[in-house]
Formats: sequence, structure tokens, C-alpha cells
Amino acid sequence: MNNTLQKKHGFSYAKYGYLFSLPFFIAFLVFNLYPTLYTVLLGFTDSKGLGNITFHILKDDPWKNFRAVLKAPTFILSIKNTFMLWMMNFIPQITLALILTAWFTSRRNKIRGQGFFKVVFYMPNIITAASVAVLFNALFGYPKGPVNDLLVSAGLRDGAYNFMNSPTATRWIIAFIQFWMWYGYTMIVLISGVLGINPEIYEAAEIDGANDRQIFFRITLPNLRTILTYTLVTSLIGGLSMYDIPKMLNAGNPNNSTLTATMFIYNQSFQNSYMYARGAAASMILFLIIAALSAIVFYLMRDRK
Amino acid sequence: MKKLLAIVLALVMVVALGAPVAFADGKTTINVMSFTDEVPNMINRFVELHPEFADKYEINTTIIATTDGLYQPALDQALASGGADAPDIYCAEAAFILKYAQGDMADFAAAYEDLGIDVDAAIAASEIAPYSVEIGTRPSDGKVVGLGYQATGGAFIYRRSIAQDVFGSDDPAVVGEAIGAGTQSWDKFFEAAAALKEKGYAIVSGDGDIWHAIENSSDTGWIVDGKLNIDPKREAFLDLSKKLKDNGYHNDTQDWTEAWYADMAGIGDQPVFGFYGPAWLINYVMAGNSGGSAPGEGTYGDWAVCPSNVGFFWGGTWLLANKNTPNAEAVAEIIKWITLDDSEDGLQYGWANGTWSGEQGTKDTVASGTVMAKSNGELDFLGGQNMFDAFVPANEYANGSNLTQYDETINTYWRDAVRQYTAGNLSRDEAIAAFKQNVADNLDVEVDF
Amino acid sequence: MSKLERRDGNPVVKFFIYFVCIILAVLSIFPFVVMFINSTRSTFEIQQHAVSLIPSSHLLENWKVFTGKSFNPTTGFLNSLIVAVGATALTVYFSTLTAYALVAYSWKLRGAMFTFILCVMMIPSQVTAIGFYQFMYRIHLTNNLLALILPAIYAPSSVFFFRQFMLASLPLELLDSARIDGSREFHTFNHIAMPIMKPAMATQGIFTFVYTWNNLFMPSILLTRDEVKTMPVMVSMLKGDIYKREYGAIYLGLALTVLPLFIVYFALSKYIIAGVALGGVKG
Repeated sequence: MNNTLQKKHGFSYAKYGYLFSLPFFIAFLVFNLYPTLYTVLLGFTDSKGLGNITFHILKDDPWKNFRAVLKAPTFILSIKNTFMLWMMNFIPQITLALILTAWFTSRRNKIRGQGFFKVVFYMPNIITAASVAVLFNALFGYPKGPVNDLLVSAGLRDGAYNFMNSPTATRWIIAFIQFWMWYGYTMIVLISGVLGINPEIYEAAEIDGANDRQIFFRITLPNLRTILTYTLVTSLIGGLSMYDIPKMLNAGNPNNSTLTATMFIYNQSFQNSYMYARGAAASMILFLIIAALSAIVFYLMRDRK
Repeated sequence: MKKLLAIVLALVMVVALGAPVAFADGKTTINVMSFTDEVPNMINRFVELHPEFADKYEINTTIIATTDGLYQPALDQALASGGADAPDIYCAEAAFILKYAQGDMADFAAAYEDLGIDVDAAIAASEIAPYSVEIGTRPSDGKVVGLGYQATGGAFIYRRSIAQDVFGSDDPAVVGEAIGAGTQSWDKFFEAAAALKEKGYAIVSGDGDIWHAIENSSDTGWIVDGKLNIDPKREAFLDLSKKLKDNGYHNDTQDWTEAWYADMAGIGDQPVFGFYGPAWLINYVMAGNSGGSAPGEGTYGDWAVCPSNVGFFWGGTWLLANKNTPNAEAVAEIIKWITLDDSEDGLQYGWANGTWSGEQGTKDTVASGTVMAKSNGELDFLGGQNMFDAFVPANEYANGSNLTQYDETINTYWRDAVRQYTAGNLSRDEAIAAFKQNVADNLDVEVDF
Repeated sequence: MSKLERRDGNPVVKFFIYFVCIILAVLSIFPFVVMFINSTRSTFEIQQHAVSLIPSSHLLENWKVFTGKSFNPTTGFLNSLIVAVGATALTVYFSTLTAYALVAYSWKLRGAMFTFILCVMMIPSQVTAIGFYQFMYRIHLTNNLLALILPAIYAPSSVFFFRQFMLASLPLELLDSARIDGSREFHTFNHIAMPIMKPAMATQGIFTFVYTWNNLFMPSILLTRDEVKTMPVMVSMLKGDIYKREYGAIYLGLALTVLPLFIVYFALSKYIIAGVALGGVKG
């Protein structure tokens, strides 16, 4: 038994594990248990309409709301969009963040002004999503706007292009905004992970004559595994619950091409009809998708040693 | 460092705990909930002018902007939860008034007559715009639960210089004739658009400009007996919008964007002839964007108003009272002063003449016809024209029976579908199908495919 | 390629690195320039040309509009500071503590607790937000800044981050040797583990501060009285309704909101820039 094993060492430290994680647990119970359970329960009821407190549990057909959501073409579309938008921004984002991390943590090839660059690259993340959306809307304005003025005066186009009315253009603009807002954040997380690696490992490698490339792939990356898992899982969660930018940039338009899953949930629950039950069912489906994908990431990133 | 952190933390806790401020000076509190400071400022003015009221009551205002989609959830929650924090008076904008006066939340509203207001007599005496009363009337018992102070009946606001160039005169009667004022049809409008196009002018800035007029001139609303209903006049917006775009009759702008504002200053792709809108569009939007502040600067002073070809209204704020308010008498006094008082001491006289706050401000159209009849609506922006001449009939003409509580959302879906059609991304049938799918999936409304 | 060349770095590669970094830096700074310039422009100028690089002369007018409303920006600033400082301190401290529990000790429910924390992180927040509001309303914590500060004690993504960081960087032998020296567990955490976590705490501190400072959704529903409103809530009130917006004042408000973030960010950024990670171990 585990217990006896620990007793052999003379003292059990297990109680500190419970003790130190207690504040987290209590705060969760106090502030979030009720809202969470309430949401789960709602998915199995006929709750609808604000101020209408009486609702019934669907005893005969408990999965009715789930079926309704899965049958709605708009929901399926919103899941597809969410994936597409996430992939379009995450792949370039993690690639650039890794490259920058390699550049900025290289012990031989010191980049001058790297302190400045590290600080500045995170800055797009400190503006609110609403301000960013307003800015990009203005930049891509039609028929008048800086980007269109530039395209026309440079002779690249004869007339203005309506970016916000093209699904492809709008998707790329959203993906770019997400990429631009988050690559600095990801880079900082990765750099902090590199800084946590014991410098003695690097010193040993240098003495052995390893080059930059070898050091990055053989030492930095393997030691970053846990932090990379964090980055992958959190951006997966963040990306699949993407809401602010697509909502405020173009409200999911044109033709629902940028409608995301959380926007769909919000529309169900809090706009107009207050279809709480369907919104709750949709959020549970989304939760299951996120959980399954996170589990895959954990599996792929597991410690193979 | 650690000590500093500890001190800051302790301070945070103390301040945070002390944060809820107690109201304890023996006065009764009236809670007001609104989405701008416009109505709260009016109520403050009322308190200023009535010291005997100020002795007994104090006002606690909550303002939450509509722009981030937060006002309605907060208001709904506050009404549903009740208690001492529940609003006594609350405001609703045209986009969502139906929900509070006729829809899901209507049961929370107090009938004006139950507050002790002799509402029918006052409406008749003040000649309140009929569409405004219609919207504020709860269908379940036929009682008035909400009224406004503004009237937002719409007219056509056009450039005098362009009118002279194309139609030979800038007289509102001539221009009104040219666009088919009062015909309830778009035929003359398109004849005028062709004539304007020949001389290099666009008749309107974008399709949003005609949408507001079309929306409110339709005979039925989006929902009839719980089912989605596409009124033929609204369906026609697809074709009208396409016609505008294909012929280059507009600059293809979207309302509330840079290019739309530029057209007010006359610096867009083609000079734009006019805008459909109520008086507030002139004061709040066009005057500021005309590129000047006195006649001769920019387009300032080059505008005039004539009646619209179709009747419509756009925007407006309604005041409602909580049916559970413990202060019915005080609430009634405030509401009466704002919505029904047609004397020179009432709010509306000051609002119409721009003098309500004590200084000369912008003039606006008001709900009471009686008040407008004794007020002066001359504006320098309109070259000295009295705007009430066009807007008083417009208020009579507007229709309040085609609204539903989901309009804001459904309109967004419809306008996107129309844009997809006019841009050639979807066929006409595909656009209608996409629109129906959106309504079916997002709202609790039956849809026939 | 000889070893010597490698040590100095290939000039072509270096040029490429600087070229990319400078472009990214310009892209990062651009929106702030627009924001600050727009705060000096009039609503008319902004409506006609939303993006401009030429400052105008309307800063004073915008300031008057901004301060002429029913709310007081100083109060908003203080409220934001209380919420952001309080929430950041709680998140950083308790998340480190929870992660420490997950890494430094082996206990029966450790795996379950970690899975639980991950699940909490995956719940879409748009939905529970309304349940949270209803609950706060029932226990009378609306219009109370504590409702925004105390929940910061549970921050699943921060715990996750600290755990992952500790797995790679916290030498457990160090803890054992502390125990042998007679250090008590809580003391070991505060004086030995925490210093090692400094770079991780700084990054999470920045992220939490920025997030709470900018947070709009929950504060605008919870805080309805002027005395407790935070800065972003006040700025959003400037938008009022779509018919009449004071763009100049809105940009001024946004610029003022972002300034304190700069200060906090630059103050903490030294931990991101320099490798102070193992200072605690070596000392």
C-alpha cells in the first residue's frame, strides 16, 4: 500500500497535498459549483424564457435538447467554423512563437534589443478585443478605408473590395487578429519555460560542442514538453471557445461563415428567446468535444520515458 | 516586497468590503435604469425644478450601454429578481421596446392608468403620435404601459444644391413630388434615382438607408401567430437593393461606417442626394458630419426636409414603470412630466426648442403634436427651414403595428442575407433559405421552409 | 562552416532576424499609436477617417466630454486597481500553492484533482457567467468588488501552468534537503519553492492583471452603481447607444485605460527578459 510505504519514511506528507489544494477547491465550490450544476441540469429541462422559473425535467425524452442542437445546421456550421478559425491562427502562431523563442533564448547568438522585442510582441494582447475589432473594421472599411485606399492607389485593384462581405477574407482577418494578439503571449510562456530549464544542462551541452540547432531540438524542446502541453491545451480551449473577435468584428457574418460555437450558445441562451435548455445542451456538447481533444493532446504529449 | 504586497492586499479587502454605499438620509429612493444618461438627466432636471419632490425622494440611476449586449440581460434580471434594487422606472429603445411593452417582459410593466395617470385624456390633449401609443400598449389588457418624449417619424433629408441641379428647384414640395412623397411606393424614387445618376449623383448612400423606411412601412411584422412571416414589402427589399447596386444608384456603403459619414460631408465616391431619417439623424449624426458648423461650411445649410414616399419611424426611447413599484405616486409625476406634459413647463416643450436643460441645445421632434405646434423648429442646418413642417405629418404617418420583439436579431439576419444576394454570393432563393435557417436555429419561432 | 563563424552568427541570418522582429514590433505598436492619436481628434474627424497618424487639437474637448459625464474617472481608476491588484495577488499565490500540492506531494486524489482542474478550465465561460450572476445576486454581492476579487482564488489555467512549469523546473531534491534542515512544509513553499517560480509568477501575474483590468462582461452586469464601476465599464458607458457616440472621448478613455497596464507590464517585464529563474536555487 502506498500509505505504508510513506510511513516507512517516518512521516506522511500526503495531508499537505489536500491542505494546499483546499483553498482552490473551496473557492470553486462557493463561486462556481452552483452555476455549473445549474447549467448541466438545464440541458435536461424545458427551461425557456426569462423570469419563467418553473421548468420541468424531460423525463420521457431527456436528450431532446441535445438532438435539437445536433440537428441544427447552424450549430454544425459553427463547430466547423470554430475549428477552421483555430487552425488558421494556431499553426502560424505556435510556429512563430517557437522560432522567436529559439532566437531569443539562444545563448550564443545574442539578439541585441531582444528585451525590447519580447516586451513589445506581447503588447497586442493588452488591448481589449472590442478596440481591436473596431480598429480592424476601420482598416478594412468599404468602400472607403485605409487598406482599400492603399490597394486602389497602388494599382492592385480597380475598385474597393468589400472584405467583410467575403467569407474567406473575413476568416483570414479574424485568424490574423487572433494570431497577432496571441503569438507574443505564447512566446512569453515558452520563454519562461526555457528560463526554468537548469542552465547546467546547457553548459554541459556547450562543452560537448553541440551547435544551436542541436541544442534547440535535443535540449530545449524536450525540456519544454510540459509547457508545450500547457500551450497546446490552453490554446485549444481558448480557440474552441473563441467569441469576442468574431462577434465584435462582423457578428458571425457574412452568411454565418465566422459564427463560432460559443456565439451560437450565446445566441440560444441570452438573445431574444432565452432558450436556456438548448444553450446548456450545446455547451455540454462543446465541453465534450474540448475534453476529448485535450485528452488526445495529453496522450500525444505524454512522457514516453 | 512581500510586506508591501500584504499591505496592498489588506487595503484591497477593506475597501472592497466597504464598497456598497449606504443610502441613509430618510429619503425614499427611486431606482432608474437606462442605457444612456439622457433620461436620467431629464429626471435630474425634474428634481431640480421641483424642490418639494427633492425633499422627499432621491434618484438612484443605473446606466448600462446597449452596445455590448449587456443592458437587456441586466434589466431582465433586475425585474425578475425584484426587491429593493429593482428599477422603479426603466427605459427601452425602439429595437427592444416590444419585448417590454408587448412581449415576454410585458407583465412586469405597470399600466400608466394604474399609477394614477389619466392617460387616455392626456394622450388626446397632447396629441401624442399614434404609432408611439400603439407600441406602448400592452395587447393582453389594452392598457398603455410605455410612452416616449421624442417622436421619430422619418422624412427624406436632401441636398438643396443637388435638387436645384437635377429637379430645378430645392422646394420641399417639388422634391417630395419627385421622389413620390406619400405614394407608399418606390416607383417614383427609382425614376428620380435614374435622373440623379445621369448627372453623376447617387440618390442614397447605401441600402441601409432605404431599409429603415421599408421595414416600418410593411403591413405585417416578422412573426405572425408564432410563425416567421416575410412581408412582401420586406421581401421586395431584396430586389430594390439589387436594383440600387446594379445601377450604381448608391455608393454601396453600410450605415454607421466611415464611408456613410463621408457621404454626409459630400466627399464620397458620388455626391449623395439624401438620407431617410427622423429629426435625431439631423441633430446627432448629420450636423456633426457635414464638415462645418455654420452655413457655407461643408454641406452645412445645404440640406432640407420633405415628406417620405413611405411612412416610417426609426428609433426612440420609451419609459416604463415597474408594476411592483412602492412609489407609484412619485413615478407617475416623473413619467407625466416627461411623456405627457404639453405645457411650456413640461419637458417636451424644452426638448422641442432645445432649451430643456437651461441652455440652448439641439432642437428635436417630440411625441406631442400640441407642443410642436407652439414650438419653433427652424434650423440653420436646413437653411432655415422649419423641420416640424415635414416631421409632424411624418409622425402621423408612421406605423407601429408591424414590430415584433425579435426584430433586432431578425433584421440582422435579413440584412446579411440581402447583402449576400446583392453581392452575388447567393442566389435569391439561397439568400431566403439561409435567412430562414438562421431564424429557425436561433429563435423560438416556427419556420416553414 | 567553422565553429568560429557560428559563434559570431551568420550576418545574413542576423539581418533576417532583425528584419522580422522590426516588422512585428511595428505591427504591435501601431494600434496604440492610432489609439493615442485618436484621443486628440474630434468625433467628426474620427467618423470621417477612423485611422490616422496625424494628431489633432481636440484633446481638451474630449477630456471635457469624458469628465463631464455622471461618473468619476478617478473612482473608476481606483476600483479597477483594487480589483486587478486583488485578483492578481490571489490568483498568483493560490495557483502556485495548488500546483505545489499537485507536484510536491503524492496523495491519493492527486490525479483526480488535476483532472478536475482541467475540466473546470474547459467549461465554456459564456454559459456559467449568467448562473454566476444569478448566484451573486442572491447572496447580495452585486455592486461589491469582492465578487470580482475572491473568485480569483480558483484560476484553473494558472494552476495548470504552474504545475507544468514545476514539473520541468522544481527540483524535488531541494525540498527534501529543506526538510532535512527542519524547514516546515508551508515555510518551504514560501521561501524555497516560490523564489524558483518567479518567472512563472511574473508571466501569470501579467496575464491575470491584464485580463482582470480589461474585463468588461461580468463587471458591467455586476456593478451598476457609479461608485463601484471599473474603468472599462465607464468607457463602455460612453458608447451609450449607437445613435450618438462620442468617439474622441471613447478613444481618450481607452488610452487612459491602457496606460496603467503599460506601467505594470514594464515593471514586471524584467522577469520575462532576464533569466532570474534559478536565483533561488543557487543562493
